[in-house]
Amino acid sequence: MIELSGLRYRTIGINTLTIPPGITSVIGPNGSGKTTLLRLLSGIAEPDDGEIHIEGKSPRVTDVGWVNEFPDKNILFVRASDEIASTLRFHHTPCRETDNAVLAIAESMEITHMLNRSMRELSGGEKVLVALAAALVHRPRLLVLDEWDSHLDEGRCLKIEQLITACQVPYVIRCTQQMETASRGDHLLYLEQGHVVQSGTPACVFDSLVHTPFYPMSWRCSI
Amino acid sequence: MRLYLNTARACHGNWSLTVQGTFCEGIHLVSGDVGSGKSTLALMMAGLLSPTDGSIGQDGISSSMIALQFPELHVTGTTVAEECRSWGLDPESVLGAVDLMDKSDTPPLSLSRGELKRLYLACILSGQYDLLLLDEPFSSLDCREKERLCEILARRSGGIIILFTHEQTSFPRVDHIWEIQGGVLIDCGELPGALVRWEHAPALIKKLISAGRCPKNISPGDLMEAGCRT
Repeated sequence: MIELSGLRYRTIGINTLTIPPGITSVIGPNGSGKTTLLRLLSGIAEPDDGEIHIEGKSPRVTDVGWVNEFPDKNILFVRASDEIASTLRFHHTPCRETDNAVLAIAESMEITHMLNRSMRELSGGEKVLVALAAALVHRPRLLVLDEWDSHLDEGRCLKIEQLITACQVPYVIRCTQQMETASRGDHLLYLEQGHVVQSGTPACVFDSLVHTPFYPMSWRCSI
Repeated sequence: MRLYLNTARACHGNWSLTVQGTFCEGIHLVSGDVGSGKSTLALMMAGLLSPTDGSIGQDGISSSMIALQFPELHVTGTTVAEECRSWGLDPESVLGAVDLMDKSDTPPLSLSRGELKRLYLACILSGQYDLLLLDEPFSSLDCREKERLCEILARRSGGIIILFTHEQTSFPRVDHIWEIQGGVLIDCGELPGALVRWEHAPALIKKLISAGRCPKNISPGDLMEAGCRT
């Protein structure tokens, strides 16, 4: 379980929240604190007050994979293959093992043609795919995806979702503005002004949002 | 008013994109897989990237604007108010409309992504352009803001508006659909006929069509009408 208690940081105020294993989607209006919450969960930011425990450990001692919607902010290397390998190299993983892991994740994500390309040349969506490969290559305990899907086509999103499931990452927390994506997760958090207003299964949370634009269109169309 | 793509070609390494077609006044939607060349096409149409072969011609277009995929690339001001002024706009009138009045003295890059996108879309949409190119305009926007953007686009009159997007459910009514496939721009045609030819149609639209309930257009209202049709 991921357990949050007495959390205070900037606009975020969460007294208690438990996130079970599985895929948790985070939705809410712009500026509601979704990215800030993800930054706290991944250990990029530390709370002013309160605690976060991921299976009893703090985020900074947990293996976390992080994907930013604007991957340019996180790019460290020129070549896509070096970018993907970076996590393993920082862990001093042997070279052969690193190369094999990079190739394996690139094959499973169907991005081997990007490996020798410069990060600067890649499209916005391609950069997100490379960032995702870099986050998944070391099999993290927690994978945090910040609006990863806003630059990907729907077919690619579905394939990536299957891949993430196959990688058996215990906790996936993703914020999205695509309610169809949110409806496919195991759990859903709805944030407003830094507070978790609704938490539960997608069916349960969306039930409370039926009269808002956040309700999935496919559910509205009964398709 | 016309934008002509005369077998214009962009390429780097083994990748290439060839585009042919005429864009008339109205709202056009261009879809395609990741890396298919949507942003490249937008840049070529905006005149920011020269085709390696062929040409892009204009007729009756005296002003054009592109909204880039990543909003950071638009930022020139050190505060939100200064950013508005850099577009020749009165900050009060822009910021009030997008609920960012209290962020007037904030550095633009301190805004959340959605707020930054709202800011620069408001600045761009305050102007009237004959050719308006919007690259992933819906990314980062919450559902309410997506709805608001669709309403604003629907209200604009005249000019050629081209949306390059992966969006799945929030669209304004569009006049024409195009898609990039296998390095070529394909003309799916005008609505509603274009919907059955649209390979990249979102799953919801494909499901509606296969259920025999083809929507008249792709706005949320059209999708709901088709969904509720008996």
